[in-house]
Amino acid sequence: MSASSMKYGKKLQSSLSEMKMQDSADALVKLAIKAGDPYVAAAVHELATGASKRQLEAQMMETRRTALSLARWEHTPASVLAALSGIGDDAVDLRLDKNPNTAAGVLSNLYVDASNKRNLDLTKLIAQHRNSEAAVLKTIALYAEDADSLLALSKNPSANAEVLACLSTRLAEDELSVAVNKNIAQNISAPADLLERIYRQSDLHTQVAIIGHVNCPDALITEAMASEDLLVMRTLARDRRVNADVLRRYAGSEDAGVRCGVAGNETTPLSLIGVLAGDSSELVRREIASRQDLLPEHIAALATDADAWVRQRLARNAIAPLDVLKVLAADASTDVRRAVARNTQCPLELLELLAADGTAWVRAAVAYQHHSPAELLLALAEDEDVDVLSGVANNPNTPQQILEKLVASNEADVRRGVILNKAATRNTLLPLLEDPYYLHRILMVANPSMHELDKWNLREDPDYQVRFSVYRWAVKNIAPINARYIVGNEVIRRRRV
Amino acid sequence: MKILVAVKQVAALEEDFEIRADGKDVDEDFMLYDLNEWDDYSLEEAMKIKESSDTEVEVVVVSVGPDRVDESLRKCLAKGADRAIRVWDDSAEGSDAVVIGRILAETIKKEAPDMVFAGVQSSDQAYASTGISVASYLNWPHAAVVADLQYKPGDNKAVVRRELEGGLLQEVEINCPAVLTIQLGINKPRYASLRGIKQAATKPIEEVSLSDLSLSADDVGAAKSMSRVRRMYVPEKGRATMIEGTLAEQAAKIIQIINEFKGA
Repeated sequence: MSASSMKYGKKLQSSLSEMKMQDSADALVKLAIKAGDPYVAAAVHELATGASKRQLEAQMMETRRTALSLARWEHTPASVLAALSGIGDDAVDLRLDKNPNTAAGVLSNLYVDASNKRNLDLTKLIAQHRNSEAAVLKTIALYAEDADSLLALSKNPSANAEVLACLSTRLAEDELSVAVNKNIAQNISAPADLLERIYRQSDLHTQVAIIGHVNCPDALITEAMASEDLLVMRTLARDRRVNADVLRRYAGSEDAGVRCGVAGNETTPLSLIGVLAGDSSELVRREIASRQDLLPEHIAALATDADAWVRQRLARNAIAPLDVLKVLAADASTDVRRAVARNTQCPLELLELLAADGTAWVRAAVAYQHHSPAELLLALAEDEDVDVLSGVANNPNTPQQILEKLVASNEADVRRGVILNKAATRNTLLPLLEDPYYLHRILMVANPSMHELDKWNLREDPDYQVRFSVYRWAVKNIAPINARYIVGNEVIRRRRV
Repeated sequence: MKILVAVKQVAALEEDFEIRADGKDVDEDFMLYDLNEWDDYSLEEAMKIKESSDTEVEVVVVSVGPDRVDESLRKCLAKGADRAIRVWDDSAEGSDAVVIGRILAETIKKEAPDMVFAGVQSSDQAYASTGISVASYLNWPHAAVVADLQYKPGDNKAVVRRELEGGLLQEVEINCPAVLTIQLGINKPRYASLRGIKQAATKPIEEVSLSDLSLSADDVGAAKSMSRVRRMYVPEKGRATMIEGTLAEQAAKIIQIINEFKGA
């Protein structure tokens, strides 16, 4: 056992008695109340009932500043936001309307309040909130009178087919209908029948948006195939539903954007690929270079393309053969050589070559490459460049003794690489429980390699976000912790042996 | 050898905020307090000198402000400052940067440091005059917007590179002791270690009153300041407009705007 793990072993034992307190939700809530920390109170609030809940809420709302902070914070749990909605403070309500965690029921109450006060700004926020209930959104669709709320609603992907249909129908004769229908045409929730109805009464731009919509009816696609409009052709050229004859016509288009679409379309016939591989536009050739159905002659032509981005795309392509990758590994462009190193099929001999590249950005790609063997990573661990060392730290093939050295790096990026390395063991990670960067300590709380008590020991961390994350972890794991604790004595005894 | 670093706890604003009833500042409920970013770099520069020196170097941080400022001073202690001093009296409320400079200068006279660092400016008020005001009251040489510093404890001169407009640097030799206002990017400020934070929590913060500095309420505050805030307000919105329409329309509109600006 290393010195660091012995040190933490003692901490585990000393925390055992407190861990017992966690064996129920009530005990966790009592600990949170005792902590007197509004962020800890917020973390466990959903577990509390009765007087305990009121005590926690008193801590969270002790000052207006704290209430405002919690109402704004993106990590504040929904139950806390619900409690804050009862304060009746307009500034708090504004933050609740903007907070992505605010629950549907709270938003519904806030909508009623906003309507009574005729507060259009709050109505707009509710109209665009992803958690707003369909009933509220339908009410806004039917009765809201301000353009901002209606436009916001038309963009909201949580507005279902019925809401969007209500909105479009209600505004059919209104001058706002053009803008609203444009938004609906791009709204992922818009149903096929509504899209078809809007298509028949819309301008070209809206029609193009509808053609590009995932729910666009096949009949409209078929109808649009006859169009010679560039926007229509650019959109359809990428659509899998377009037939080979149309794609052939598009491949002969004078517009590079249309040909790009064909080059990127998975259903484009092989006969067209060769033609487009020699296209006059590098934009088209770049699309071609990423395809998975290239023939050897296409690859050979693209490997010597004058455009470095074409060669870069080919270098990343998993179907590129070894002889081509060898050529590209010696390319004058750093980005091309880096792309070879990032290729999932890059062979060891090229990884070894690129590990000695003069540019750190290329060596870093080798360090991040999951096919790089331990021997190569050992050599790269001697590098002085932070990107290379971060790659070594991230790589699951890196030996533990190297990771143990990297946790002492002065560079936060390198230490974070170790934390994110799924192969890093608990013993390797232990020193990072005291990492100076608070975000790293939060990541440690979420790290599956760490023991429950490792995480629990961070509950009094100086940073409120770390303390919050520890208690949130405890709330989410309260049942498993309880179960593990029963076994936990044995686990700890085994560790002591 | 002693380096004194003048620091300030600054207020950042939330996206939504309200102006105070007297119309002269933002309501305190909407302010988020933290150590001034420039001061983080000043402290780091002092710490670099301390850590690379063969002789003993004491780093002292000083701030003028109420109790809440202790939090920022503890942050400095956690990063390695040896001592922290907070000067305050309620009568100092409303003091402008020049008056704050005078209070700091009196503190510096008592501490007798060999160098004084301050941030180029504070992120909330941005007068960029506190450090220069300190130098003026002390009658010490000063250099502003220092982007590089070559100085060893005990030297009677330092060489600084000052950041000027157009990417120019001006290399200046300056007599010591001096007041330097430090620019962002001169170094890479450290994070406080957990051990440092825990130790800082138990370190005392020296509280100094105006009388300790031979000053009185008549020497500070808004009345003694040479500038006073008349009002604070959000100006009328500019000409920014949201570009609406489908993605293709938005792209076409942006191209049109760019072409108009280019005169195409």
